[in-house]
Amino acid sequence: MRFRAKVVDLACLNNFSRVVNTIARLAKTCTLRLTADKLYFILCDKVANGGVSMWCELCQGNFFDEFQMEGVAVDHNEIYLELTPENLSRALKTAQSAKAVKIKLTNKHCPCLKVSVELPSLSSSSRIVTHDIPVKVIPRRLWNDFREPRVPDFDVSIYLPALKTMKSVVERMKNLSHSIVIEANLNGEMNLKIETDLVSVTTHFKNLGNPPWASEDGCQSSAQDRDLESMAEARIDIKKLQQLLAGQQVNPTKALCNIVSKRIVHFILLHEDVSLQYFIPALA
Amino acid sequence: CTLRCFVSFLLVFGKAIHAIARISDEFCFDPLEKGLALRSVNSSRSAYAYIFFSSMFFQHYCWTAVSQPCQKEKQLSLPCKLFIKSVLPVFRCVNVLERNVEKCSIYTNTNEHHITFQLLCRNGVIKTYNLTFQECDPLQAVFAKHMCPNILKVHSRLLADIMIHFPTSQEEVTLSVTPVKVCFRSYAEEDADFSKTMLTEIQLNPDEFDYFQVGVDSEVTFCLKELRGLLAFSEATHGPVSIHFDVSGRPVAFSIEDMVLEASFILATLSDIDNGTASQEPLCCSRILERPRQNENEHNTEPAAPASPVAKRNMCNSGNIFKDLEGTAMPETDGQAVLEAESRESQYHKVRTLPSFMLYYRTFQFLFFGAVSPKKDAISHTSHSLATASDTEEDFGNMQSSQV
Repeated sequence: MRFRAKVVDLACLNNFSRVVNTIARLAKTCTLRLTADKLYFILCDKVANGGVSMWCELCQGNFFDEFQMEGVAVDHNEIYLELTPENLSRALKTAQSAKAVKIKLTNKHCPCLKVSVELPSLSSSSRIVTHDIPVKVIPRRLWNDFREPRVPDFDVSIYLPALKTMKSVVERMKNLSHSIVIEANLNGEMNLKIETDLVSVTTHFKNLGNPPWASEDGCQSSAQDRDLESMAEARIDIKKLQQLLAGQQVNPTKALCNIVSKRIVHFILLHEDVSLQYFIPALA
Repeated sequence: CTLRCFVSFLLVFGKAIHAIARISDEFCFDPLEKGLALRSVNSSRSAYAYIFFSSMFFQHYCWTAVSQPCQKEKQLSLPCKLFIKSVLPVFRCVNVLERNVEKCSIYTNTNEHHITFQLLCRNGVIKTYNLTFQECDPLQAVFAKHMCPNILKVHSRLLADIMIHFPTSQEEVTLSVTPVKVCFRSYAEEDADFSKTMLTEIQLNPDEFDYFQVGVDSEVTFCLKELRGLLAFSEATHGPVSIHFDVSGRPVAFSIEDMVLEASFILATLSDIDNGTASQEPLCCSRILERPRQNENEHNTEPAAPASPVAKRNMCNSGNIFKDLEGTAMPETDGQAVLEAESRESQYHKVRTLPSFMLYYRTFQFLFFGAVSPKKDAISHTSHSLATASDTEEDFGNMQSSQV
């Protein structure tokens, strides 16, 4: 099992750092899955996470100048590692002016991702900063836990409002309540509601647009028969929503959510070279 | 005594207070004839900070000592011990301070056990802070920097750029040098869980240092948290930082010196365990021992005379240090205890090592408005002679060392 990668381009490095920073805000520990073409940051829906799950997919070619990996076996050419994304984020934080960053899987005292940052210096030779990030190798028998989640059978799918606006609304609401209700309809309308003994606040968004989803069998999905005005709603933990919104450092190309009434809200954030899916279950 | 600071230097003074705050909750505020000294020691006696502002640093500096009065008035001895928590609010938001404060004055009111900090701010606002002080035995560490085989001098910006790679939670770092390489790396204890800790290492070329002298390959591990205060202070002074050190176990000194001020942070370093004497305590080095108060009538400060050389490989057993030295105290300086670090035996002669930390008591002084009558003998702190390498025990009078 081997892995080594190198980034030389500063823009790519910054992009990768941003992705890692976002992940670090969403999960304390997560799984990094490496394949020949892609990297995935995965969080599966264990109770410890509060039921949230995350699937983030990147094409390695968009970020790395060199990328070589050898998985656990020829027919299972993948590596699954458990790590603390905050560590990776911290290692990359001081690499903003780096000449090159190399990442390598090593096993000295214990398996580590060794991040080597070559920094410019006043002298002839560069300054080298190395960070050894401890990781755990996830054995093959557990790989099934980390399969890509399926898009749920949603009631309503709607584009999100400007994330910056949504973030500031949710942040203010967070001070008043622990849970928030997201409701939306197929008419491009979304409401964010909180209700406590003292106060109830609702923010209305209009003209958001609903993404067209082609169903698998080619014909209109049952969701299209739905009354356009009828709202699908789910009450979710406001902190989880706030973390998702706060972690976004760049505006995504596309941002939408799928609501399964009273069950789960599925967020999809698409950037040019990275896609992030985040599932927040409804509260009982 | 009224000390007035130049507002343009308020940033530096404020950062000095913040730096000292990293060491301990209380510090020694010590006005001297030549300037103002701030000193602090941490509770485990493994870090000592000293910042000295010469009188030239201040817009106006007036210090007076009173001669020995004949009547038995209550006399307060200075230096004074202040609690950091009382002083920090005065210099909160140091970066903004300079814009808002036109003048800052400091004066002591010994009758009321007060030190007053007064900030004359914009728009006629005057903030007055009256801080009570306690008397304290003066603390002074002595560290013969010039005896260190390894000396690095580096611009403060570079040092900050190096330390930024370590997380703020990183307690200890190891500085490792050879004549061709310098390396700072995070230190994790032997029993640390490596599967959880992230380790960081920075390798530098000796070229990056303004001055680079490595007499002996060494690895010294010290507390980064305590040092960070000095790093922030050094950025305010824009001065280079000198690092003097030796082998592991011997202290490391980080110091800044310029025309108007001098600062030193002396940190204990982890001792080499393969001497066979494992230590329970994380940081150990020579410990400071407080010298009992001398006879009050005595004005002349005396250097703490080292006792006969005590060979101690590893000071981590310093729990027993008192016992060991009791029997060897010099008769004329009764009641003092002096600490010695390990004694190194060279091929040529028995070299008594420097006591890394020595404490001695300075004559009390106190400050009055008005009469200026410095009694030079009484404040001969500059003439404290300190043990340096010597062939014999008797050579105390001749020994000089750098004053810290």
